[in-house]
Amino acid sequence: MTAIAEKNVTWVKPPRLNLAEQIYLPSVAQGMITTLKHLVKTVTGLNATSTQQYPEQQPVLPPHYRGVHRLNRDEQGRVKCVSCYMCSTACPAHCIDIVAAPSPWPDREKYPETFVIDELRCIYCGMCEQACPVDAIELTTIFSLTGMSREDMMFDKEKLLSVFDQTVKLGTDPVRTRGGRLSVAAEPADAGLTGSSSAQS
Amino acid sequence: MATVLVNDIPVDIGDEKLNCIQAAERAGVTIPHYCWHPALSVVASCRMCLVMVGEKKPDGTVAMQPKVVPGCQTPVKDGTVIQTLDPKSTGAQQSTLESLLLNHPLDCPVCDKAGECLLQDYSFQFGKATSRMVDEKNTPPNKPNIGPNISLFTDRCIMCSRCVRFTREVAGTAELHVVQRGNHSEIDVFPGHPIDNKLASNVVDLCPVGALASNDFLYKQRVWNLKTVKSVCTGCSTGCSINLDTNKSVVYRLRPRFNPRAQGHFMCDEGRLGYHNVNSALRFTKPLERTNSGTQAIDWQQSVAKIDQSVRSAAQTDAGKIWFVLSPFLTTEEAWLLASYARSISPFCRIVSGPVPSHGVDDNYPKDRKGNPSTNPVKFTIRAEKCPNRRGIEAVVAHFQKSPATFADLLAACDRGEVAVAFVTSGYSTAFPAWGTETAERLGKAGFLIVHDMLPSALSDAAAIVIPAAAFSEKDGTYINHAGLAQTTEAGCVPQRGARTDGQIYLDLLGRRGLVRAIEIRKEIGKAVPALAALATGELGEHGVFVTARA
Amino acid sequence: MLFDLIPFSLLVTVFTIAVIFVGVLTAVAYLTLLERKVSAWVQDRVGPNRTGFDFGQPWLKFLRGFFGLGQPLADGVKFLLKEDVVPGYVDRVFYYLAPMIAVGTALLALAVVSVGDTPVPPVLQTLSANSSSADSPRRVFPATKSELAAMNSTTNLSDVRAGYAQYNNLSTIKFAIAPNVDIGFLFVFAIGGLAVYGIVLGGWSSNNKYSLLGSLRSSAQVISYEIPMGLSVLGVLVMVGSLNLERVVDWQARHGWLIAYQPLAFVLFLTAIFAECNRLPFDLPECEQELVGGYHTEYSSMKFALFFLGEYTHMITTSFLTAALFMGGWHLPWLNDWLSPSMTGNFDLSYLFALLIKLAVFVAKMFVVIALFMLVRWTILRFKFDQLMALAWKGLMPLGLMSLLGVVISRQFMPPGMGQWGFQCAFGLVSLVIVGVVSLLLPTEAPKTVLSISRGRSHSATSAPELASRAS
Repeated sequence: MTAIAEKNVTWVKPPRLNLAEQIYLPSVAQGMITTLKHLVKTVTGLNATSTQQYPEQQPVLPPHYRGVHRLNRDEQGRVKCVSCYMCSTACPAHCIDIVAAPSPWPDREKYPETFVIDELRCIYCGMCEQACPVDAIELTTIFSLTGMSREDMMFDKEKLLSVFDQTVKLGTDPVRTRGGRLSVAAEPADAGLTGSSSAQS
Repeated sequence: MATVLVNDIPVDIGDEKLNCIQAAERAGVTIPHYCWHPALSVVASCRMCLVMVGEKKPDGTVAMQPKVVPGCQTPVKDGTVIQTLDPKSTGAQQSTLESLLLNHPLDCPVCDKAGECLLQDYSFQFGKATSRMVDEKNTPPNKPNIGPNISLFTDRCIMCSRCVRFTREVAGTAELHVVQRGNHSEIDVFPGHPIDNKLASNVVDLCPVGALASNDFLYKQRVWNLKTVKSVCTGCSTGCSINLDTNKSVVYRLRPRFNPRAQGHFMCDEGRLGYHNVNSALRFTKPLERTNSGTQAIDWQQSVAKIDQSVRSAAQTDAGKIWFVLSPFLTTEEAWLLASYARSISPFCRIVSGPVPSHGVDDNYPKDRKGNPSTNPVKFTIRAEKCPNRRGIEAVVAHFQKSPATFADLLAACDRGEVAVAFVTSGYSTAFPAWGTETAERLGKAGFLIVHDMLPSALSDAAAIVIPAAAFSEKDGTYINHAGLAQTTEAGCVPQRGARTDGQIYLDLLGRRGLVRAIEIRKEIGKAVPALAALATGELGEHGVFVTARA
Repeated sequence: MLFDLIPFSLLVTVFTIAVIFVGVLTAVAYLTLLERKVSAWVQDRVGPNRTGFDFGQPWLKFLRGFFGLGQPLADGVKFLLKEDVVPGYVDRVFYYLAPMIAVGTALLALAVVSVGDTPVPPVLQTLSANSSSADSPRRVFPATKSELAAMNSTTNLSDVRAGYAQYNNLSTIKFAIAPNVDIGFLFVFAIGGLAVYGIVLGGWSSNNKYSLLGSLRSSAQVISYEIPMGLSVLGVLVMVGSLNLERVVDWQARHGWLIAYQPLAFVLFLTAIFAECNRLPFDLPECEQELVGGYHTEYSSMKFALFFLGEYTHMITTSFLTAALFMGGWHLPWLNDWLSPSMTGNFDLSYLFALLIKLAVFVAKMFVVIALFMLVRWTILRFKFDQLMALAWKGLMPLGLMSLLGVVISRQFMPPGMGQWGFQCAFGLVSLVIVGVVSLLLPTEAPKTVLSISRGRSHSATSAPELASRAS
């Protein structure tokens, strides 16, 4: 790292306090009034709390909520992922593990033999979704994720695809990314159904 | 004294014969290029290196040529002026890249080259962000397995013809050709003649884009996840400089590293694919001890103590019956430590070089078109001697053992039953073994056989104690090749679970404290052994140093 | 000779200890709930509202909720049943000892603090006949041999003995474990000062750098803040002439609350006890953002709960003390006479009623201070360590001295009553302003702060002068 040139640095002095601030007490009183106001308002019900009574009252989540991942299927029901590792590269928590293999289908070269997300390690930042060039990985609105062991929370390809099936069937999370097809080579023009879902066309 | 002006930077090129690309490189200026390669002939087909070239007249005026010229094909002389930043040059670079990308599929996410692709790098540095291509792209079908180890992704090719020239000029066997014309040009092989020469995989390294891919590495890793260290190939005594690519202590690929003193630009497929035993699940991970009921794993402290105890108790009766075999797969430092240990026991312990695996004859390239030896000047040699460090071991043995003994003497002594303890280091490649079952049986007659090896073999079956050896990718050290070139190799992996590096074990045997540091031991050797005095500096540099006058 | 005057009854004491101990533990449990509730309310939340007394049984569902009143019980069970993790490499002896010290000292300090109406012990005859006013100090015990002789000659011991017999009567209800302790609040501060050992030992024995840092801060902080605290209560001592808490309360019942005399001392005392209790804004020993959990990072289960208990007990003790020292204890203004039936020893209803009222009054005053604790927690940000130290040594210390000076001057030169009150009040306020002004005028060594750094060409659009002008 190079040193920063002095001319690029702006030095300022912290502002001096005035008498009232120096004595502290007026501002303390001011703060107490604010605190007290909130307290009184909440206790008397003047101030509606935004607390939701969770298990009885289910939250209404925005469609871009970042919950459990899913792997999207194309229209033939195959996994859309082309195993490019962009998600695992973008992942700041290093929670995505992919093993690539030559694809068994003629319209693409590569597919994920295994695709494992450690849901415990994940920080649900959604970078994988942004990095994906073929809209294969998405975060759903499933937020309550539980498991009895650490192994339970390692979501493999089948599990992630089942999340797709489940959320699409329930209609809670329609496919929402629409980046486009990978390339002509990965998906030839005559195999137009692949890669682009109905949401895309 | 010839001075070239590159972007107004004067460069003194002496009396070398250089082209514009090389001259610019001396000035720290990159002229992008695809088809030009220093080891291949110049064709100027990719047009990427177009630059403005001119001449500075003695009176100080500069006369530029009216149009851009290919830098690879334009030699420089005193007064040559190269401009890479003027609008004509940058315009030419941009247009060339746009042209090269016309039919390129842009499937970087699934392309193995992504991350080390010159097309990506140059597009980023010199290209333009958009393409004016509106038509359907050319998508010729892929040709998987144009060779046993090579796939061709035809649509990614930019027709630089480096691979074609390599098979013609270096390998000599000329399997690859350009077929069709114009924008239908493709690289191809003749039916029934796949690219299967022993240097074939070099075309994968040469390919500036992702068109040629190694089946061995295909889809295994993305290159940006790999950690690269400078290493040395242990396949033969050429000692090719290599880059060792690893991820999480697993070796994924070896690539040649340019070294004019060792091998040049390339490496052979034997060496390139010879790393697989490093990742083998069969490798020993714990010291094993043979008991009446079979073998059992023991811990490291125990194994070191047991070896030390057996050697010392044998030394009390007759130290001449203790034999140490230094395998030519050990680094010079490891050999030095083990030999020092032998000497610390008794001056009468016998130290011998291990057998040198020699298979066939030196294999010279280029061949003729049919793959037979030719009379052309040799550009690459695969040695018959299939070990990396014969000369290093011999120098160490010669230093410690004044009365020379050989491996054959050991076998003979074994037959006579005159061997109390034999410490045999191995590490030989399974493809080119140094001994057969019969030799192993003879060594098994030793009173107490200690085998230091990576993989189970007939010899390790006969051993009283087996200690796991580290692979070349797991240790630092020095190898001295057939010509006396000492090169350092760097560990890219940590030894497999539970294993230790050989040098560490020998250091523990010696009773020296701490962790083994190859560079310190190298300095020690350089001071102690006159024949290896060149090692005294510790750092041997990227290209290594010759320990003797060049043969 | 005089020691048989000390009122002591084992049975009564044990009974009082049991009652106060259980009371305090219950109070601590519910204070944690209150803390959570208050923080929720201040932050516009609901707070614990589900844990009632249904114990997970469906047929008890109607007992769910109730403002989360079951929460302390659930927490207690949780603390008891959780795995008690003792990390390797801790110093076992001190690691186990630290929470015991923390909770032990906190409870010990409570021993002399009354939690309700405790009658004033009888007063021995004054030693010096020439004492100027009725408020002059009255020593109960002689300090020197000559005084003892003088006392023996002038005091009618039988009277005293009779007074104490009356005082010691079982029917005289005393809401303190050890009533009538003449070193009174000095004892509280002495024991409270020991509480820091719990923290220091806990932090040190944990073998964790965060814990150690927390405990180091704590020791520096507690030592620093004991000085302004001592200075502020010195004013009380000068006015009342006794350390005995019952006498302090009695003095206030007769002359008015000390908070009115010495508002500055009250503020100082309040600030100091915040620091003593490691409460925000002075909770540096356990500040989560920097030190994980501070000194109790490595503690879990019941040992952690003991620290917790000690802390809250400390809060209760200091709150009672604040109420007793400055807020008139169990007395309500203008109702003193009505609420003070004569100590006849007869157990009548009006006496009992008055006792209950006074208990309620005292607890309510204590509760006000606790509420202040909790509100301040969500009002004032945590101080930096240098600010903390600067506040103690450069702010509170001089102010404490000034306050004491005011008290001494008024005590010496003013007539008792309004004169003293007015002077002390005015002197306190003036000294507050003076210290403020002085600290304004003092040159500060505040470091220059980097406002912004622009580097490289990519940021050259925002030049340094531009940034400076934007900032101004």
